[in-house]
Amino acid sequence: MKPWHRLTLATVLGIAAGASLAVYRVRGGLSAGQITNGPWATAKTYGTKDADALTRARVALGGLLALPAKEAMYFTARTDSAGRHLDGKCTYYLNSQQVPARWWSVTAYDASGRLISSPTGRYSVGGILAFPGAQTASVIVGPKPTTLSKPIPLRMFVDTGGAKTFELTLRVYHPAPSILTGPEGAYLPSITRLSC
Amino acid sequence: MRRWLAPLALGLATAALAYQATLLATPFALMRAAASKAGTGLPINVFRFAPMTTAENQTIVRPSPDLFYSLCVFDVSKGPVLVRTEPIPGHYWSVSIFDARTDVAAVRSDRDTGGRPAMLALVKAGQVAPAGYDAVPVGYDRGVALIRILLADKAEFAAIDAMRRKSFCRAA
Repeated sequence: MKPWHRLTLATVLGIAAGASLAVYRVRGGLSAGQITNGPWATAKTYGTKDADALTRARVALGGLLALPAKEAMYFTARTDSAGRHLDGKCTYYLNSQQVPARWWSVTAYDASGRLISSPTGRYSVGGILAFPGAQTASVIVGPKPTTLSKPIPLRMFVDTGGAKTFELTLRVYHPAPSILTGPEGAYLPSITRLSC
Repeated sequence: MRRWLAPLALGLATAALAYQATLLATPFALMRAAASKAGTGLPINVFRFAPMTTAENQTIVRPSPDLFYSLCVFDVSKGPVLVRTEPIPGHYWSVSIFDARTDVAAVRSDRDTGGRPAMLALVKAGQVAPAGYDAVPVGYDRGVALIRILLADKAEFAAIDAMRRKSFCRAA
């Protein structure tokens, strides 16, 4: 092999390896390498010039047009509180004190960040709006609006459509200073698997 | 073996450059694709008032189904672009300006304006905002202005849709 053959081969392999590694790390998703709180993960630099190149690329892929934390915080969960991957055929119970913010919501997405088509069209529950004045909020996430075969009000139900896997995004608009400065210690909903 | 040392060093350096270049290019590429998709059929510097997002009409990744979105792909290459948002009383609303790299250049919500309209002039270096508008410097010619309105009660759709259409995005 001539020297220029070796140099050309090294260049091509280097480009392929570097680009592949970047794609792999970007596809690691919003949960990778961020601030964590139980099953939830977030970052304080979404949408800002302070974001590093990897965070910016991850947000562009997984949550384009995200707002800075002062306006809204985005927490993503791919597992329940026990660390098991979220399964659209299972039923989950989210229980929380009201998140300290102007309003918050929980939305289910498929693994590529798309809303999940379902008969009920229940993509999300808006916390403070669904439970006005309440100190706590309970949300059921699953393929049917039931727990232990008993129907539940649709206002507290998020439909997974029976998807193989799904993710949850917790949006917190106008977060209180306590959650803005200390998201890792904030009281966020736990995610408990009830049945499969 | 020694004849492979130089190619190995070149390969590693190329890999590092390709890694960083891919990371840097990704936001620009995805922003361009999303703006093109969401603004299909519309000229630039005009708001597209989208319907409530569903699984069937979703155009951007991870949208909120609780928010009413209005999106304008802007271009300041020929002069400032003016963005005015109509206030929606009793509802969370905001307008955010994203540059081509996906960074937020400005956000104004009802909390910031005290319920009054947000009046923004998107400018690049050397351009001047008209009187009455807050100048928002943007680092790139193109970007996206996005209005979010929280719609808790779907019965309000028609009334709020009529109000938000008073908002505009246009060349100065």
